[in-house]
Amino acid sequence: MLGPHARLNRRDFVRLSAAGVSATAVLGHGRRAAAAAKYPDWIPASPKPPKRGGVLARASAWDPPVIDPRLTQSIGLFQFIGLTSNRLIRYSFPEETNNTDDVTLRPDLAESWQPSADSRVWTFKIRQGVKWHNVPPLNGRELTAADVKYCYEQYAKEGVQAFTFQEIEGMETPDKHTLRVHLKTPNTLFPQNVAESVTVIFPREVLEEDGDLKKRLIGTGPYILKEHTRKVRIVLQRNPDYYDKGRPYLDELVILSTPDSATRKAAFRTGQSEILQVASPSEVEVILKTNPSAVVQEYKDWLSPFGLALSQDKPPFNDLRVRRAISMAVDRQKHVDTLYEGHGIAGWGVPYVYYLDARPTLKDLGPWWQYRPEEAKKLMAEAGHAKGFETTLFYYEYFPQMTSQVQLVQQDLKKNLNIDVKISKLDYTTYYGRYVDSKWEGMCWGFQSGHAVGLDERTYMYMHSKSTKNFFRVNDPVIDELTTKLRRTPERAEQRTITKKIVDRELDQVLRMWMPYDSGFMIYQPHLRNMATFALRRSDGYGSPITARMWMDK
Amino acid sequence: MHKYVLRRVLLAVPVLVLSSLIVFSLMRVMPGDALVALMGESGNVGERELAKLRKDLGLDRPYTEQYALWLWQMVSFNPGYSIFTNEPIAVSLRKAIPVTLELAALSMVIGLVVAVPIGVLSATRQDSASDYAGRVVAVSGLSLPDFWLGTLVITFAAIWFHWIPPIGYVSFWESPWRNLQQFLLPAAVLGFRLSAATMRMTRSTVLEVLREDYVRTAWAKGLAGRMVVYKHALKNALIPVVTIVGGQLGVLLAGTVVVETIFALPGMGRLTVEAILYRDYPVVQTNVMLVAATLVTLNLVVDLTYAWLDPRIRYH
Amino acid sequence: MATVTERVVRIEEAPVVISRTRALLTALRRKPLGAASAALLVLIVFTAIFAEVLAPYDPLAPKPEIRLAAPSWEHPFGTDDIGRDVLSRVIHGARISLWVGLLAVGIGTAAGMIIGLLCGYCEGRVDLIFQRVMDAIQAIPALVLALAIVSVLRPNTTNAMIAIAMVIIPGNSRIVRGAVMSAKQNRYVEAAQAIGCRHPRIILGHILPNVTAPILVIASIWLGNAILIEATLSFLGVGTQPPTPSWGLMLSSTGRAFMEQAPWLAIFPGLAISLAVLGFNLFGDTLRDAWDPKLRRS
Repeated sequence: MLGPHARLNRRDFVRLSAAGVSATAVLGHGRRAAAAAKYPDWIPASPKPPKRGGVLARASAWDPPVIDPRLTQSIGLFQFIGLTSNRLIRYSFPEETNNTDDVTLRPDLAESWQPSADSRVWTFKIRQGVKWHNVPPLNGRELTAADVKYCYEQYAKEGVQAFTFQEIEGMETPDKHTLRVHLKTPNTLFPQNVAESVTVIFPREVLEEDGDLKKRLIGTGPYILKEHTRKVRIVLQRNPDYYDKGRPYLDELVILSTPDSATRKAAFRTGQSEILQVASPSEVEVILKTNPSAVVQEYKDWLSPFGLALSQDKPPFNDLRVRRAISMAVDRQKHVDTLYEGHGIAGWGVPYVYYLDARPTLKDLGPWWQYRPEEAKKLMAEAGHAKGFETTLFYYEYFPQMTSQVQLVQQDLKKNLNIDVKISKLDYTTYYGRYVDSKWEGMCWGFQSGHAVGLDERTYMYMHSKSTKNFFRVNDPVIDELTTKLRRTPERAEQRTITKKIVDRELDQVLRMWMPYDSGFMIYQPHLRNMATFALRRSDGYGSPITARMWMDK
Repeated sequence: MHKYVLRRVLLAVPVLVLSSLIVFSLMRVMPGDALVALMGESGNVGERELAKLRKDLGLDRPYTEQYALWLWQMVSFNPGYSIFTNEPIAVSLRKAIPVTLELAALSMVIGLVVAVPIGVLSATRQDSASDYAGRVVAVSGLSLPDFWLGTLVITFAAIWFHWIPPIGYVSFWESPWRNLQQFLLPAAVLGFRLSAATMRMTRSTVLEVLREDYVRTAWAKGLAGRMVVYKHALKNALIPVVTIVGGQLGVLLAGTVVVETIFALPGMGRLTVEAILYRDYPVVQTNVMLVAATLVTLNLVVDLTYAWLDPRIRYH
Repeated sequence: MATVTERVVRIEEAPVVISRTRALLTALRRKPLGAASAALLVLIVFTAIFAEVLAPYDPLAPKPEIRLAAPSWEHPFGTDDIGRDVLSRVIHGARISLWVGLLAVGIGTAAGMIIGLLCGYCEGRVDLIFQRVMDAIQAIPALVLALAIVSVLRPNTTNAMIAIAMVIIPGNSRIVRGAVMSAKQNRYVEAAQAIGCRHPRIILGHILPNVTAPILVIASIWLGNAILIEATLSFLGVGTQPPTPSWGLMLSSTGRAFMEQAPWLAIFPGLAISLAVLGFNLFGDTLRDAWDPKLRRS
């Protein structure tokens, strides 16, 4: 491996070794771990002075269905709207940190933010001198607090962000650059919610003139949308008036709609695409054979977005013993070792950075998450299902390993518990519609957002019994109490304690049965600099703002 | 003759109406919802929001009303909007049709250029080694699934030749050379399959014609063999081949989705299939009707040509 | 898709089953391609029937430790993404593919034949209405129709077959109808009608035998197509369900996903599909050659 690695400083070297060591600890299989730790998860920024200019093209699997951020959270839109638009608060850029576990909130459009004593009122100081794109009807006018207020009001009114913004009781703008937000209930984690990649600020004029945001996409971001041809390409051009002077470096970004994975690989190999994501170490090897100087970055997961969702509001899954038994009957380590070639994680639901210092291992998840088929059998018998039962499992094949996983789980459950699982592989629309409808029976290979970074969303919004995003149908009074308490806790250390309690409860009661997962690897062309992919913020996905920090050494 | 023409044209109308009914019903019976798919893993599909969107799009009205409205839109050439993208369908079609037409046309050219000579060769040398070789090659073109051939082509073009068609469709008028580069491989893949079918048909019709009495007479008279074949046999043999090609055009127009997906071309095939997968009713209905109308018209033209050529058929 | 011709298909004057079979056997003996295709089909049918005996392992039993293993003595076709033996899956796949083909083509042919017979024999209003419906179905592109039907019913192998059958019916009905109309002008039929033979007798006795020839030819070619359509539906995500070892599913999912790391996952199912389709098509050719000596069709 050449390039950035040659410039490793000592600190990074130590980090890398530590990563290697902890990887070994996590997986417990020396040889496999060595293979998995071969690629760093952090590529340090280049010490050379950045060069301006260049066009970065990327073959993308996704095409935006609509460009209206109120109506969709599809990755097809957020792979580029994060470049045309800003949020109030963001997370770290690659040059501001040195590891992927960084959850520091950074100022974007808001220079600073302060809570009131009871965390019910949040005051944001809006950055001065931020200009909207110099295209009609905005024509480069300055962004004000009123713009942000309007935006949040619209989000609360209709669309997919409504739940987040309906927390807001009222807002006021005492002056052009101050926004005061009054919440209905205290929430110390509110800034995290407005830091989510999906809460982009859009212009009032466009919405008022067009009636919607489907025709024009204008923002305050480092890039201006120059062309959007459906199912073909998206072209972004550098915004010369961007508030972060001197950036971005790249002149143009092009996203090429390429739905087929074999074609995306071919595009990377022939240099038509600069960034490629692959799922497994063996795929990386295959690409490196034809492109030996490509740079590989391991994409480390904070959590697994997928798990075995059960209709746990109904029998038999409402019985804790049944859930524990099923969880113990699945050999998760085998998934990691074989399907994910030693590279994945065993699976849990809340980003560990919020309550632990190091990634948990399978052992850390507790007794109900270890592979103990005998115990499982006993527990099932206790619950009255010694003979097993029949059930169904529907899923959508997000990636090929998922189908392998589903079949392994089917086999495990049959072999160990005599549960007959009938698999239904559905198309995306049928699967998604059925899943979020929350009326399905049996089992489902379900998900919980693959992009939400904030703690509030990951706990309260997904696990509280009253939340509309609670697809796993968690209904536990302890969880309700703890997640609500968490929102009222301003102290960081105490937040960690409560979060740990939430997770412990979740693991103990098997409220959401997470399954192994692996995000794979990012592969970059050798001339790219300052690339990074953080957990839940892929630079080619929801972490698109990172792309504005890259430059090309050509 | 006029009566026959009139009759056939009139009969085409109920056929189209029936097709429209079939498509409409199928789409409505499918489980799943374009609106929910649109929200894209947002995890917040509040009932209230969904209901409002449905109302705005007219999806909560009774089916008969929706059907009637849609029929009216078809008849007045005003197809409405896509649920998923909100783009006017007329615009989407205007962009997608040239892509598929170009793909179909190039595939047919490649297919014919390959198929007809091989077919003729096979027929004139029936049961020889070259006949067998030709037939096996032809049938193998029919027996590999499109997606597999396409995947092999794109992958090994990248690995062996370090070249794949430039991704990011441009129309022929914008940039002819780039456009042709983009269509070369996908047209070759489709053309290969097309040539297989056409080759077999050419072979059998040429064989047929070669057995005709007038041809045998010509052979017997000792006229230069090739002259006979090319002047008389080929001309007659090609008429049914043209029919087949016409039929293949219909298949092509519909069956390009796989190749369009793999080679990233924004054509009708992808538009229609992706719309089905996302339950984008208006798009599917309109697209299918368009193709159906084209096929029906094509059939009509062919039928009328036949009737003109062979008077017996008129009296059926 | 097949080059199904729906114009006038020539049929023999004298419906004699025995001579038909003899003609076929002669053709098989004379044309090596025909014999080869017949042998191939016999092999496939044999494999399908005796799959349990022939397959060395359980096609559904995963052994993830040995996943993506290259072909070896223990696993001549290698192992797949969760360690199942590919040879066993390909063998069982023969059964699935035959099942797909036979059911789809069976339903399609039978239904098409019934409708065609009805239309051809009765003519008049029945013919008019049914033929319009057939036209309407046929105007919808085959893949779109199949995809729509499978999406409406749940995606699985059986529903994929029903969808394919729907695609086949209109073409078949038209061929049968044409053949029936031709046959009706046949002297035998006129004579039968003259002496007061009842309709079913005429249909069964005189018309049906004339119709079976072209039907069988088309059916044999559609058997191959059915397998291909099922593979494409699997590629689009709405075909056979895992863990069913259908060749189409193996080729379109794991075959493509692991194409470079484990090419055997695609090579063997792909070869199986190709050979099967090849066999069916060539056999259909041979049937046509054998039973239509004048090879007159337009």
